[in-house]
Amino acid sequence: MKKILLVISVIALSIGLFAACAKSTPDTATNTSGNQQKDSQQKDTEDQSSSSEKQKITVWAWDPNFNIAIMNEAASIYEAAHDNVEFEIVEMAKADVEQKLHTTLASKMTEGLPDIVLIEDYNSQKYLQSYPGSFADLTDKLNYNDFAPYKVELMTVDSKIYGIPFDSGVTGFFYRSDILAEAGYGAEDLNNITWDRLIEIGKDVKAKTGKAIISFDKSDGGLMRIMLNSSGLWYFDAEGNITVSNNEALKEAMETYKKILDADIIIPTAGWNEWVGAFNNGDAASVISGCWITGSVKAATDQSGKWAAAPVPRLNYTESKNASNLGGSSWYILDAAQNKDLAIDFMNEVFGGNVDFYQTILTNNGAVASYLPAIKGSAYSAADEFFGGQAVFADMGKWMNEIPSINYGLYTYEADSAIMANLEDYLSGSKTVEDALKDAEAQLKSQIQ
Amino acid sequence: MKGKISIPRIFIYLFLIVASFLSIFPFFWMTTGMTNSAVDIVRGKMTFGTMFFENIRILFSEYDMALVLFNSIKVTGLTVVLCLLICSMAAYGFVMYKSKITQRLYALTMLTMMIPFAALMIPLFQIIVQFKLLNSHFALIITGASSVFIIFFFRQSFVTYPFEIIQAARVDGAGEFRIFFKIFAPSMKSTFFAAAIYAFMTSWNSYMWPLIVLQTNDKRTTTLLISYLSSAYVPQYGVIMTAIVISTLPIIIIFFAFQKQFVQGMLGSLKA
Repeated sequence: MKKILLVISVIALSIGLFAACAKSTPDTATNTSGNQQKDSQQKDTEDQSSSSEKQKITVWAWDPNFNIAIMNEAASIYEAAHDNVEFEIVEMAKADVEQKLHTTLASKMTEGLPDIVLIEDYNSQKYLQSYPGSFADLTDKLNYNDFAPYKVELMTVDSKIYGIPFDSGVTGFFYRSDILAEAGYGAEDLNNITWDRLIEIGKDVKAKTGKAIISFDKSDGGLMRIMLNSSGLWYFDAEGNITVSNNEALKEAMETYKKILDADIIIPTAGWNEWVGAFNNGDAASVISGCWITGSVKAATDQSGKWAAAPVPRLNYTESKNASNLGGSSWYILDAAQNKDLAIDFMNEVFGGNVDFYQTILTNNGAVASYLPAIKGSAYSAADEFFGGQAVFADMGKWMNEIPSINYGLYTYEADSAIMANLEDYLSGSKTVEDALKDAEAQLKSQIQ
Repeated sequence: MKGKISIPRIFIYLFLIVASFLSIFPFFWMTTGMTNSAVDIVRGKMTFGTMFFENIRILFSEYDMALVLFNSIKVTGLTVVLCLLICSMAAYGFVMYKSKITQRLYALTMLTMMIPFAALMIPLFQIIVQFKLLNSHFALIITGASSVFIIFFFRQSFVTYPFEIIQAARVDGAGEFRIFFKIFAPSMKSTFFAAAIYAFMTSWNSYMWPLIVLQTNDKRTTTLLISYLSSAYVPQYGVIMTAIVISTLPIIIIFFAFQKQFVQGMLGSLKA
């Protein structure tokens, strides 16, 4: 027993010592060199000192193969053109970026803040309105006419624009062309359809091939948000008032959920993995989601050439279009950032002006840009073998321009959960759709006020 | 009696089989997942695949798992040592020097357990920034060095210690530190082991505080890396599973190595 104790304490001590040494040596080294640099700089003239020291742009983002990889690409382009810049791209989970940003902004400690941060579009208004003055006003710094209008709208507060629009969540109806052809449906039959028509097709496909038309998680609000966004309505109006119980499109979306379930044309799934698994396995004949889902679709390489894409179905609601959005995120620059002007210049040069960069990230990462000049580029018009030679990304670029502009307001996720909680009662038949919406509105009101 | 099958026994075994399946299954899934590609995992493949070395390669070359693991071991190791030292001495003080003031102090210390971490987070962050400890492992170690629960745990076990032994040592001229390290602590080994395992788990799994304090990729701990990997739009499940297995191993090893002491410590150190 004594031996064990001895061994443990020796290990612990050696870790401590090792750690202390490993840490202290480079630290003191950088400190002394930093001091020397400062000393010599004081002797030097002003402009010499600024050119000798590298300025660092710190970025917070999530997803190793998407946002981080893209930011690395953008950073290397900018570093190649400018000598005195380096990047610190901090890799975090999405929820972690949000948590960290909230805590740091709330603590008013600007030392901990990055220069650039990625924020999901549904949450952008929450940050912009909860922490006024924390984000840099870029209204005159970028040419916003070059970006998809719906993206610019969601980062606008009091006619001031705050962010740099990044990836689009333009939606598509991605389907297995082989399965639908077996049931007798070609590309023309699936172009610009309504949800009701999709349900009819789904019944037919089920009868003829035995396959479900989509995998469907009834507790996921994604499809609901797609339907709403296609109608130009949201859970809130432009002034931020709740529009739940008096929302025509929302009512129809709820009814459509029920119709889809009652028609018995789906694979019920719970959670993301099952949902993706269903079309990766070939059990579901299509998926309706944001363009970023193509990454997961293409992961099943054995299904190459068997897919195609059509515009997302629309509601019967008169304003509804065959174009919508799900998700997507944008970059924001912190007003208190140490290198704010440099960060703005970087964003302007790469994200607001480099068409080739956007071709690279589409090819490498499948990122559909909301920078409109990029969509005319070569990578967008290239035929995609996985989608049977269709130029899917050029098509998505066309749909993107049609997406109705909405101000998402502050509480998209709160509204979403209030509605999904009451949707369950409507689907099971214990509430009418009107009652479910009224209850959801009451629940939402009590939650956010 | 041996070999007899009775109906209650069948039910007991049935229940145990189900229970052990439920607890072993996640580990099984984790280990098979480690050897498969992301698509296979999503498709529900449950058998061992061939992707193990590929997953390990990605984890160690692209995400620098070795450094992350070292960070975690360093922070946890130092926290555990410091935490055991500080908490055991605090508890010793509370037990051996009983007075109205120390009892009030003890009650006050216990009360702080009621404050949730979320309420402390922002002020604590401000303190750390002002001490210029942002983005340092020391900020994690110093905040983890005292745990009210472990003080409580030590105290509960220390009160059973025969006070006469301490008095005898004092009479023989031993100083208080000598009594603590030479006489008291060695006979409380199992309690220390149990507290060590608890402190290890808390520090190893801590997530929110490292997230807020650490600012660069080269400082992050295993929990932050796993969280980062899982939030991808197209998650690399094989790599995530590998990272989870690697970061679970130390806990499993420590628990199995000190299982006996852990159970003893939970029951109380001294046998009457």
